[in-house]
Formats: sequence, structure tokens, C-alpha cells
Amino acid sequence: MTIQNDPERNESKHLHTFADFRNKRVLEVGCGEGRLTWQYARETQLTVGIDMDTDALRIAEVDRASDLEHKVLFTAAASEYLPFSKETFDIAVLAWSL
Amino acid sequence: MVHALNEIRRVLVPNGLLIDIRPLMDRWQVEVTSMREVRQTGRVHDFPVGLADDEAANRAIAQAFENGWFSRDRQEFFSYSYSWDTPAEMEEWVDTEWEDFVALEEETKQATRSAWALGDADARVRLQVKMLIARWNVLKDR
Repeated sequence: MTIQNDPERNESKHLHTFADFRNKRVLEVGCGEGRLTWQYARETQLTVGIDMDTDALRIAEVDRASDLEHKVLFTAAASEYLPFSKETFDIAVLAWSL
Repeated sequence: MVHALNEIRRVLVPNGLLIDIRPLMDRWQVEVTSMREVRQTGRVHDFPVGLADDEAANRAIAQAFENGWFSRDRQEFFSYSYSWDTPAEMEEWVDTEWEDFVALEEETKQATRSAWALGDADARVRLQVKMLIARWNVLKDR
């Protein structure tokens, strides 16, 4: 199947209009396979994507460029019990997940 | 959902931002497109579970606002499109990826197949998903 997702890149344009990701620490809740993550993560200081779908997280990790290994992390976690200390992130993105 | 929003608030720094980006059930438009024209062929049918999910999400964020956890800064709507070579590919995708949330009625399927078959050589099928993006500022007592 040849599917094109958002060829106009409206999602990325709006995301960058709404937040400046440069040098920020970002938590993405519901990152899935990282489709949205890759639209901004390179600009950040740190991006952590969480999801309960471990298969999707595995794909996200496989897709991660080698130069982003220390900057973009993925972990299985529920949004109700975030395994992070308080005030760890500058931006949280609810990625199709609320 | 409300508990999750409180958790997100906990891990955000003072003056941190919450970006809520998600699709909204809104009988998404089905189109046949080519370089020359766009033909609207119908809309998807929304199932109650998707509408209920939207209401629950809106209630949760409203509750977070009422609790004084976040203040809304900005909100917009935009289109997120999916595009396929053929109507059959769109039908398969809707049936597998969104089966609990939306469906294509027979009338829309027929209209789309017909418009695509009679359309230009570069005709494709497109689904326009309505998206919400909202920015919330975290509020914290220091």
C-alpha cells in the first residue's frame, strides 16, 4: 500500500509554530513509532518518548539515527505514572494521546 | 486522563509548555484529487466511541484548567491528510487502522471509486482529518 501521511507537512508546521524546541528537554507522551518525534527531536537538548506499546517503541528505536542515540530516548511508561523527577522537562507533547 | 495531566504538570518546569495535538472526530472529508482538480466524494461516518473519546479528552483538559494546573495560551485547527493511489487502499486502511472510530458508508465508497475511475491519470484518494493543536502553560506555586 502506498500511503502518504500529511504530504503538506501541516502537522510539523503547526507544531513548530506552537513551540520552539531548540535546546529544550521534551517529553512526548504516546510517541508510538516516533512519527511525530522525528519532526522536532533533532533540535532539542533531550527528547524522551514514552508509550505503552513496546512493539512501536522497538520500531522507534530502530528508526533512530545513530547520531541521536544519546539525545532521543524511548521507554515504556504510562502517562499516569511518569518515571521522571519533578521539573525534568521544558515541553510535554501529547501526541495524539489525550 | 486527569491524573496523567497532573503527572505531566509535575515533570514540567515552571513556565513549561504542554502541547496537545490530536485528531478530532468530525466526519472527515473524502476526496479524489489530481493536479487539475479536487472532487469531494463524501464523508466518513463517526462511531460513538470516537466521539466519546474526544469528549473525555476535552473534559480532562477542562478539569486540569479548572484545577489551576494549566492556562490555555493558544489553539488552532488544521487538516492532516492521508493519501492513497486507489480507493481500495483507503478502504483497507480505514477498516484496519480506524475500525473502532470511523467507517466508510457504501455511498461514499461508490462515489469515490467512480470519481477515481473516471478521474485524471494522476488521480489519488485523500482523507482530510481534522486536527486540534493547543498550547497550555503550566501553572505552579513556587
